[in-house]
Amino acid sequence: MEAIRDAVDFSDFPRTDLIIAWMVAVFFLVFPLFPHSSFAMATMIQFFMFALYGMGWNTIGGYGGQVDLGKAQYVGIGAYTTAVMLIRWDIPFWFSMPVGMFFAVVWSFIIGYPLFRLKGHYFAIATIATSLVLKDLFDVWSFVGAARGLEISPIEYPPPDFLRLIFKEDIYYYYIILGFFFLGIFYMNWFRKSRLGFQLRSIKDNEDVARSLGINVHLAKVKTYAIATAFVSFVGSFHACYIKNIEPVDTMSLDISILIALMAMLGGAGSLWGPIIGAGVLIPLRSYLKEWLGAAAGLVGIDLVLYSIIIMLISAVEPRGIWGIVEKVRRRKRR
Amino acid sequence: MDILLGSIVAGILLGMVIALVALGLTIIFGVMDIVNFAHGEFLMVGMYTGLLTAQATGMDPLFSLPVAAVVGFLLGVLCYVGFIKFLLRGPMVAQLLGTFGLMLFLRNLALLIFGSSDMSVHHGILVGKSFDIGMDIIVPATKLAAAGLSVIAFLVVWLLMNRTKIGKALTATALNAQAARYMGIPTERMNALAWGVGGGSVTVAGALIVNFWAVNPFMGLLFTMIAFAVVALGGFGSVPGAFFAGLVVGMIMEIPGIWDFFTFTFDIGWMADVPMTSLKYMWIYAAYFLIMVIRPRGLFGWKQ
Repeated sequence: MEAIRDAVDFSDFPRTDLIIAWMVAVFFLVFPLFPHSSFAMATMIQFFMFALYGMGWNTIGGYGGQVDLGKAQYVGIGAYTTAVMLIRWDIPFWFSMPVGMFFAVVWSFIIGYPLFRLKGHYFAIATIATSLVLKDLFDVWSFVGAARGLEISPIEYPPPDFLRLIFKEDIYYYYIILGFFFLGIFYMNWFRKSRLGFQLRSIKDNEDVARSLGINVHLAKVKTYAIATAFVSFVGSFHACYIKNIEPVDTMSLDISILIALMAMLGGAGSLWGPIIGAGVLIPLRSYLKEWLGAAAGLVGIDLVLYSIIIMLISAVEPRGIWGIVEKVRRRKRR
Repeated sequence: MDILLGSIVAGILLGMVIALVALGLTIIFGVMDIVNFAHGEFLMVGMYTGLLTAQATGMDPLFSLPVAAVVGFLLGVLCYVGFIKFLLRGPMVAQLLGTFGLMLFLRNLALLIFGSSDMSVHHGILVGKSFDIGMDIIVPATKLAAAGLSVIAFLVVWLLMNRTKIGKALTATALNAQAARYMGIPTERMNALAWGVGGGSVTVAGALIVNFWAVNPFMGLLFTMIAFAVVALGGFGSVPGAFFAGLVVGMIMEIPGIWDFFTFTFDIGWMADVPMTSLKYMWIYAAYFLIMVIRPRGLFGWKQ
């Protein structure tokens, strides 16, 4: 009960924040009712998925300050568990998703335990390494379709199928991921006020002081890593049902890991709204840049060039992201 | 037996080039504690430079090394002065993602300019020739030359670091930047120099590698990871460490050949079923992970 009250209690935010948040939430709810292109719809679903990925990353990377650049491996574990269980044994999404989460969390313990002995750069590169090892293994493992990947054929499962999460219209996916998006926000709101959340922030500020206060630093990190993993793995499972075609190249590539970290950082790591703002800016930007410049104008790569310039600018000018700028402006006003 | 020896020789030759690739990374890391994710992209720039200079002037690719060195030096200095300098003020996250942005920038700029197809050197003095160095081991001339020149380049940089005043200033900056500044060393300029030397050495390596390795805009990440593995094994910031670790990692890259040798010699069925060539690069990532977990300091490291 206490936890639920904490989760829905946003009273420590200024009122303007809450009004904007309400307006955006209402917009999300009614968006499909207005006329929209299917491209806009797909972009919105992508946005929710990446906002959830970003929230997961934000627990360990934002509140905990441990830069994890290997999140794609958990996307892969979630997506592959769901796809394999559906194709081989006809096990529906709602059962395979927790199983995928379980596998991902177990794997996160296995590699997280030694990984968290490392700090800073070393940790970041080691997460990349484990992610690439897993990707290479999935690339040759014939049980999961090797490099060709797996395809969930919608013909075998006549849509709409709520149990297996196979639909023809994107609007079903939209409302399902929207529901999880709100759940994610509530969870994060609880998390930042929880005991673990406070422990993590003290670890981020000064690890030695945190240890001297009696916090089990290693355990707190591993636990938070598992939470982040569960988030990411869930969205991975959803990804499998939504995209219906998963390959190691695009589900587990380093680009996904970087995108996840980048969004949270662009929005403002370590704040509740950060990953959402970051995803809200980057995902439409990426989709539309690709559409307008890459596909239409025939300039392959220019969308990513612009995109990388944004990354470079944000990291050089304001590493605390958009939320950092907002807070700076607020502090100046208060003075 | 000749497969095994051939693999080992190939691994050692490749390792010498890889040591040069990793040298730049370890210098930059040692001097300013920043991990350059764009390192493989610098190598790619070197490869394109070597290739295009050779194609434009009709020279042999091996003679384009000075051009590559100059381009790399300027690129390194430009990156530092124009971008990296601003990253140093921020937290570590910003440095990581900033150099990542640099990597994406260079990669996609190359994609925009050169397209995604493979490009390789087709003619040159050494291309297509090979030596038999005895015991049925055949070594391609390009690899032999690349290895030899890499060792020379490595020695030049090592001498620069250890026997000149500038090198001493660089080392002093690496050991303690603040103290170095008090001693009158312009640390800001030393940082730029570290990026210049780092960039120059890796583009030279690129111009050597292009003789036997096709270049495309996406090959940077693989070499970044290889360089990380070398630097981790040799110890972050250690120059001699990079050389020995380069040899080891070169051998790791030849694991498929060694695996084949055991498969055929002892005729082990299950070993033949493992798709070893597809897992070629996995060993490098795995090696990096294991080194970091078991001995984060590396073999010769002095930075914790």
